[in-house]
Amino acid sequence: MRRRDFLMGAPVAALGLAGCGRNAAPRSRPLVKVTRAPAYSQDIYDTVRHALAEHKLNVRGRRVVLKPNLVEFEPESAINTHPMLVHAAFEAFRELGASVTIAEGPGHRRGTLDLADAAGYFQTIPGFEDLFTDLNLDEVSRVHLPDPVSHLRSLYLPHTVLGSDLLVSMPKMKTHHWTGATLSMKNLFGIVPGAVYGWPKNVLHWAGIHQSIADLHSLFPNHFAIVDGIVGMDGNGPIQGRPKAAGVIVSGHDPIAVDATCCRIMQIEPSRIEYLTLAGGLERIAAENIEQIGEKPDSVATRFDLIMELRDLRRVPA
Amino acid sequence: MGIDNGALDNIRAAQNTDGGWPYRKGGSWTEPTIYALLAYRAARVAVPRSADAAAWLGAVQQRDGGWTPRRTVDQSTWVTALVALLPPDTVGVERHARAVDWVLRQTGMESSPVYHLRNFLRSGELPGGEPSGWPWFPGTAAWVTPTCLGVLALKKSYWRQPSTQVRERIDQGQKFLLSRQCADGGWNHGSAHALGYNSGSYPETTGQVLLALAGTDPVRLEGSFSLAQRFLREQRSSAGVAWLRLGLLAHQQVPAGAPLLDMPCRTVPDSALTFLAAAAEQGYNAFLE
Repeated sequence: MRRRDFLMGAPVAALGLAGCGRNAAPRSRPLVKVTRAPAYSQDIYDTVRHALAEHKLNVRGRRVVLKPNLVEFEPESAINTHPMLVHAAFEAFRELGASVTIAEGPGHRRGTLDLADAAGYFQTIPGFEDLFTDLNLDEVSRVHLPDPVSHLRSLYLPHTVLGSDLLVSMPKMKTHHWTGATLSMKNLFGIVPGAVYGWPKNVLHWAGIHQSIADLHSLFPNHFAIVDGIVGMDGNGPIQGRPKAAGVIVSGHDPIAVDATCCRIMQIEPSRIEYLTLAGGLERIAAENIEQIGEKPDSVATRFDLIMELRDLRRVPA
Repeated sequence: MGIDNGALDNIRAAQNTDGGWPYRKGGSWTEPTIYALLAYRAARVAVPRSADAAAWLGAVQQRDGGWTPRRTVDQSTWVTALVALLPPDTVGVERHARAVDWVLRQTGMESSPVYHLRNFLRSGELPGGEPSGWPWFPGTAAWVTPTCLGVLALKKSYWRQPSTQVRERIDQGQKFLLSRQCADGGWNHGSAHALGYNSGSYPETTGQVLLALAGTDPVRLEGSFSLAQRFLREQRSSAGVAWLRLGLLAHQQVPAGAPLLDMPCRTVPDSALTFLAAAAEQGYNAFLE
C-alpha cells in the first residue's frame, strides 16, 4: 500500500509514518544545499537538476506536488515564487521519473488561475492549466493533528496533497510582518483549503500563526523544500516589501533546517523565529547541527531589511 | 448588451449527476451550486435535474440549520448565507428559515462577549462598540466577503419579512464594511492596515461591498466608485469584472461603454457571476431582487 493510499484511508494513523515528528531529534544532520543563482536565467534548470541529484531523491514512479507561493497579481514584484524556478523543478522531477503536479491555494485572492496567469505561470510552463490544482477548491478530507501545539485538533486538507508521495514547498524568501520570515514551513498555509476556511484562512491565525505552522509541519515533516531566494522580498513583507536580490536557491529535505539556513542568509537569527523553535527546538536549528553543502550561508548572507517591530529578530537571545 | 449564453452553457455542462456543481470538475460543492442556481433563475430557464439539485442541497444542511461547503465537511460555514440568498422554495421554506436563523446567530469572534472579556483581562481595554460582521468559519474573525453575503442574504429576508433584529444586523454589517475600507477607497479581504501600513484593495471585494452597500449614501462612496471603475478597466479576472459590474450597477455607476465578458471563466462561479452581471445589466440583479 502506498503512503497516499494509506493516508486517504486512515489519515490519523498514517501521519505517524512520516518520520520524525515535532521536537524529535533528526536521524542525522540534515543536508541543506545553498546554490548561487544570480538571475532567473536558463542556468537555474541545471542548478535545480544538480541540487536534486545531490539530495539523492528517489522519486521514480512517485507522485510529486510542487507547491509554490502565489499571493498577488503583480508579475513585476517579488511577491510570488518565480515561474521559471517552478518550471525548472517540474522538469527536473519529471526527468527523475516522477509524476508532477503544481498546486497552490492562495490566502487572500480567490482567482488562483487568474493570479497564476498574471504571475507568468501560463506563459512559462507549457500546459500549466492541466498541470495545476487549486488547493483552495480541491476535494478534502479531515486529518487529525497527532500532537498539536495550537488548539486545533484537526484540519480539512486537500486530496492532492494528502495523496502525494512528496510535497515540495517552493516559497519565496521573504520577510513577514507577523512571523518574521516566510519560508518553506509558512508556505504550507497554502495547502489549507479556502473553500472550507475562507480567504484568509483565519482559523490558522486564531489558533496562533506560529503554532499552526508547527502543526502543519508535524503533518508533513519531511516535505522537500526549494526556496526562491534569487530575488526575495524584505521590509514590509510578505506583500508590500521591496525586492531583495539574495542570489540563492536553498534546498533540502528538512524544512526546519532549510528555513533556519534561509534565516541566516537573510541575517535573521533563526532562534528568534517562534515557529522554528516550536517545531524543532533550539538544538535542531543550531548551525552546527545542519550539514551545509554548496555555499556557506555566511558567504551569501545579505541583510534583509526588517520593519521596526521586527528589529529584535537580528539579535541572538541571551 | 445581451446576456452571454456561453456562460450558461458552461454551467450546464459542468453539472454533476447528483444535481450539484463542482468548482471546476470533481465533486459538488455548495458555493458553485448556489451560483449556478442563481444564474438559472436570472435566465428564467428551468434548472436541469432540479429535483436532484434540491435534494443535494438539502443533504448538505446540518442539524444547526447551517450549510457545509460540501458533504465531506461537517461544519456549517459562510456558505449558509449563499443558501439564504436563494428563494425559500428552492430548498424548502422551513429549511430556508433555519438558514437565515443560522446567519443571524453568527458574528466574528472579535465581537463575542468571550473575546471582550479575555481582551479586558489581558489589556484592560473595554469594548469599543466596533460593528460586527460575519466570519468565513465559526470561531474566527469577521471578514469582508462573508459580511457582504450576510448583508445581502438578510436584506432579502428583510424584504420578505421585516424585523428589527434583521434590520439591526444589516446595519451592523454595513457599518463593519465601511470600517474596513482601505485608504484607496476600495476593499480587500478585510485588513485595511497592518502594523500601521495601509493595504491595497481588490476588485472582487470592492465590487462585493458596493453591492452590499446598495441603498446607502453615495457621497461617502464616491472614491470607491472611481476606484471600481479603474479596476473595471484593468480587468484582471472574470469574477472581478462581474462583482465590479454588479456593485457599480447597484449604484448606477457603471461607465458607459464598459467592456463586458472578455475574460476567461475558469470556474463555475466565474461563469455564473459573469452571467449574473450581464443579467443585472438587463435589469435583473439576483442579489437585490
